[in-house]
Amino acid sequence: MSARENILERIRKAQASATATPSATLLSHLAQHPRGPLPPQPENLLQCFKERALKLSSDIVETADIQEVPALLAAYLIERILPVQGVCWPVLENLPWPQAGLEIQSRPAKNQDMVGITGAFCAIAETGTLMMLSGPETPATTSLLPETHVAILDPARIVATMEDAWELLRKEHKHPPRAVNFISGPSRTADIEQTVTLGAHGPYRVLLILAPPLNT
Amino acid sequence: MHNTSLQFKKQVTIKLADVRLQDALSRLQSRFVGGRAAVISEIHDLQETRTAAAAIRDRVLNNLEHWLLHFEQQATARGAIVHWAETGDDVNRIVTEIAAQHNVKTAAKSKSMVSEECGLNDALEQAGISVMETDLGEYILQLAHEAPSHIVAPVVHKNKEEIADLFAEKHNKPRKTDIAELCREAREVLRPAFLNADMGISGANFLIAETGSALIVTNEGNGRLVTTLPRVHVAITGIEKVVPTLEDVTTLLRLLPRSATGQSITNYVSVLTGTKKPEDHDGPEHFHIILLDNGRSKLVGSEMQEMLRCIRCGACMNHCPVYQNIGGHAYGWVYPGPMGSILTPMLSGIEKSPDLPNASTFCGACAVVCPVKIPLPDLLRRLREKQMQLGMKSRQETFMLRVWTWLALHPKFYALGNKIGVRILQLMGGKDKLIHRLPGAGGWTNGRDFPAPAGKTFRELYQQRKQS
Amino acid sequence: MRVGLFVTCLVDSMRPSIGFATINLLEAAGCEVTVPAQQTCCGQPGYNSGDRQAAIALAKKFLDEFEAFDYVVLPSGSCAGMIRVHYPELFRDDPAMLTRMSAVAQRTYELTDFLTHIAKLDKIPGTFKGTLTYHDSCSGLRELDVYKQPRALLAKMDGVTLNEMVESTTCCGFGGTFSVKYGELSTRMADNKCAHITDTHAGAIVGGDLGCLLNIEGRLRRNGDHTTRVLHVAEVLSGMDKEA
Repeated sequence: MSARENILERIRKAQASATATPSATLLSHLAQHPRGPLPPQPENLLQCFKERALKLSSDIVETADIQEVPALLAAYLIERILPVQGVCWPVLENLPWPQAGLEIQSRPAKNQDMVGITGAFCAIAETGTLMMLSGPETPATTSLLPETHVAILDPARIVATMEDAWELLRKEHKHPPRAVNFISGPSRTADIEQTVTLGAHGPYRVLLILAPPLNT
Repeated sequence: MHNTSLQFKKQVTIKLADVRLQDALSRLQSRFVGGRAAVISEIHDLQETRTAAAAIRDRVLNNLEHWLLHFEQQATARGAIVHWAETGDDVNRIVTEIAAQHNVKTAAKSKSMVSEECGLNDALEQAGISVMETDLGEYILQLAHEAPSHIVAPVVHKNKEEIADLFAEKHNKPRKTDIAELCREAREVLRPAFLNADMGISGANFLIAETGSALIVTNEGNGRLVTTLPRVHVAITGIEKVVPTLEDVTTLLRLLPRSATGQSITNYVSVLTGTKKPEDHDGPEHFHIILLDNGRSKLVGSEMQEMLRCIRCGACMNHCPVYQNIGGHAYGWVYPGPMGSILTPMLSGIEKSPDLPNASTFCGACAVVCPVKIPLPDLLRRLREKQMQLGMKSRQETFMLRVWTWLALHPKFYALGNKIGVRILQLMGGKDKLIHRLPGAGGWTNGRDFPAPAGKTFRELYQQRKQS
Repeated sequence: MRVGLFVTCLVDSMRPSIGFATINLLEAAGCEVTVPAQQTCCGQPGYNSGDRQAAIALAKKFLDEFEAFDYVVLPSGSCAGMIRVHYPELFRDDPAMLTRMSAVAQRTYELTDFLTHIAKLDKIPGTFKGTLTYHDSCSGLRELDVYKQPRALLAKMDGVTLNEMVESTTCCGFGGTFSVKYGELSTRMADNKCAHITDTHAGAIVGGDLGCLLNIEGRLRRNGDHTTRVLHVAEVLSGMDKEA
């Protein structure tokens, strides 16, 4: 007997109530996927999201015109004496990067890239978190390899809880993609003397640019 | 990992005298206990959420076979290969075979306590595969050839100076003293490991049956890197880690980071499903998920089943006064503190860890904070019952307990015995009414005086007063 | 209210004054107090060592002796917890006994809990004057929710100033046989507790469980502190702290 059969046999023997096939309860739980206890709905999703994101050491700028994003990013990078070179997701490639003095290429990130510019599938107000779905147009490395991660977020895509985020995913996609990444600020570690240090293996900083989507 | 729990008492002596460890442990206490307290109030109704979380875990544990099968079916449909392993050796063999199959020479690893159970790193090194730990704490331990001392904060027992020494020695670079500089150095040393690794190895905090996904929580980004860049990803975890749905795992995620590190959410939560598609730019071409038993199935359906609810947050050990005083290494195996005092005997052998279920005052601080309401003191007591049934108690202890019980069931002899006993103790107390040495109770009197009784029992005095 | 007093084995042998103090308080609260003569031990030592059968035997003995009372009161959180929380569980496989035992368990109280919620004692006989600090014994706290009750009763005493210690709810390291079997560890835990007590500069440390108090006193004295008084809350509330 294989390990699989041995293990399942032991479990089956131990559970007197075992059924031969998945029970109706199991299947209905999967079908209904009920939510657990939820926090109260925040009065203002945008406000709540901004407060939580700032608490997690993300930086935030806002604009009503998405075409302004490159200028805002340039100002942010220059102020911090950071490189103005990076990569972006294809959907953002036509924003006026060169005009703002930024060298941005539309391709997945490589180790040498210093800035990675992405969008986001949605964001969660409860914890100030971005939800990213991997895909050919939304490579995961862009928000991971560079030292600065810039996420352009449509405020209308801020939902209250992670449960709401899953609901959005279920509505707009059939299956989860290969990777769903929830990102809540710059990478960090507290392994040395329990002292939180920003910038471990992932980005050192996360800039959230709240802007309406393209084509509005 | 080799179980050295038989050394517990010796280790306690050593750890209590270890000043650097004691400093580190008080840091842990203020950060993790204080940290949890600060954010746990964010949960609207904590008790309701804990009850829901326990119910989520029980739903799966009570029907483990079918939930595992559903997970396997979904994961396989999305392109993952699911393996089953009965022992740690099986895991090592499977990973080595996967490595051979895919021509793997180097592996980058993010934290996996289950892999510690198996001794995976050693097995891979012996097979000629070099393994780099990438979680900062685990990396430090790898350099120092030490085992983790906490399931969430593995290197809590070391201070910054020790780590600076270690880096200076092993990296061949000038010694840094600033924590941020040490972290930057680790980042620079480890980045090539991520980029060049043929295989990424990780654990999985949860397995989601609904979608066939593995869920990993990290803060550093190494978890994302090892599961995104290498062409092969192997995730190893225990069979009890299955959770039914995305919504269920979300309820557990409300509790896990808050209970563990005092964070509202870990920096990264990664939900990984299947393999890279041809049109993707990143992700593993091959995704292997290994389900380990290693004694867990023995707990299913038993009076110890509740222990399998554990979501490895570490809150129990953070709040345990015993752990707070001795740290994790004294426990002798992978899992320390209250949860380790139960898992170590159950998974590694009850006869190998006679002290662990007994080194507890049953204060209950652990049970109060456990996010999934595991009745830890009750489980420890059940282990003590098992030990008694197996004849593991010392003859002296068994005898004394038997005598005490007999006396307690025979009031006249009890009263007489007590009368004599308290008079002896009163005499021993002398003028200052303190007993400095009690033969047979050196454990008490080595460090404490024993306040002598007044010399008459309550029963005697009460009878006297009634008669007068 | 007819109260059966279970003095507990430790109070019986080591500090009878706590038993008399308890009677004083219960009578001051208007209770008729009986002390069943055949009582011995609640069985916790055996139970916590893994001897379920011993605990079952002693639980049955308890039932015979105390079932007839309106209430059962104990000057100990750990013994009261043993009865209230664990006795019923011992009979989970015996429905008839379980019913009887659950009924008595629900009428069983730790002293300060009883005085606060059931007897509602308002006028406290005690005359203690000075600062004291309170140690929260684990079982009373976590099994029986005893925290506010002793503080509320002590607050009714004009002469009492309560200086809370840091970590009043952390275990003192007694744990029954743990205190002997893991003596070094137990001593360290007691030492930590004593440091917190000393930091309050209180004249007395007060608690609801004699096991904890013996442990704390033992370490204080070994450390050279012969002035901090170690008192049971019953002694302070009843005015019998002079005798202690």
